[in-house]
Amino acid sequence: MRDYWLSKLFFDLQQPALAAEFKGNRDAVLARYPLSPEVRKAIADNDAPFLARRTNAYLLRYYFFTIGLKDAEFIRNLRGG
Amino acid sequence: MASFAGAFAASHGPLLVREWDAVPADQKTRLEKAFRELGKRMKAAKPDVLVVVSPDHWSNFFLDNYPAVCIGVGEANEGPPEPWMKAFPHREFPGHPRFATHLVNEALKGGFEPSVSHRLKLDHGSCIPLWRMELEKMPALVPMLVNSIEPPMPSLARCLEWGKLLRKAIERFPGKLRVGILATGGLSHSIGEKTMGAIHEDFDRKTISLFSGAERSLVRYLDKELPKRGNGSEEVRNWLVAHGAARGKGFELVDYLPVPAVIVGCGFAAWRP
Repeated sequence: MRDYWLSKLFFDLQQPALAAEFKGNRDAVLARYPLSPEVRKAIADNDAPFLARRTNAYLLRYYFFTIGLKDAEFIRNLRGG
Repeated sequence: MASFAGAFAASHGPLLVREWDAVPADQKTRLEKAFRELGKRMKAAKPDVLVVVSPDHWSNFFLDNYPAVCIGVGEANEGPPEPWMKAFPHREFPGHPRFATHLVNEALKGGFEPSVSHRLKLDHGSCIPLWRMELEKMPALVPMLVNSIEPPMPSLARCLEWGKLLRKAIERFPGKLRVGILATGGLSHSIGEKTMGAIHEDFDRKTISLFSGAERSLVRYLDKELPKRGNGSEEVRNWLVAHGAARGKGFELVDYLPVPAVIVGCGFAAWRP
């Protein structure tokens, strides 16, 4: 399953300017995307397993890289640990 | 008539740049040597045009429209958009609109329907091998982006057919050109999945050996195994395009090594002319 707007957010965050804005004011960026409350919560909680079911795996990795998670930590998170 | 200058393949992966310092010295030496060797062979092949067969890692396409195959027909294409590829020396590559358009037309005549773009961004998938191959003079590049990132993807058999079509197009081009092919990606790796980091050396070695045999066995094996070998392994599609273009003659393995520090089973190949 693909959540279009979640995927769009991750896709757009490849742009350095938007990524910088996201780091400074996450809520302002999120407000531009019609995300469901569950998806917003998963983003807030860094819930990788939940997000993984809704987007492409490469986009998911880009996102966690963008917010500064090291690969090892991302993999642990993804495996539910 | 143009001529086929040769086909080559090399793995790529962001960590070959971002985590280069973490690669153990012996593996670093082998990787450098393998990339350089491909670069040397590429230079010797003297291509005027290089068709770079690579996936698009969400640099050009999104869920709105993700083509199975897109050919860059423009005067120029852009360098990598990834901020961590800033040190890559090329920001723009000359294309070859005449050959690229001819390829598209031959494809349409042959029952293939590629998407076309007049300006593509060539991301790390294309640029890391070009960078590490240390080509002083870059040939004109014709990007051929094959979807191995977001389902549905073109079938493996179709990728092989694409390669054959590409060869036919080269040989039917009315003009003196030498056209080479660089396939990038693979071998086994897993990105953004629970299995991220896994390298399947057994799969990689078996795949490499099957490139020397019958096409049917290769495609049958890959069809069966790819779903279990990590999403990055899907990039072997690009190797199939090169293999089809080289008329299935098999390649010389320049090197293969699983590199955990970059989470890729790294393969380097030059097809027999």
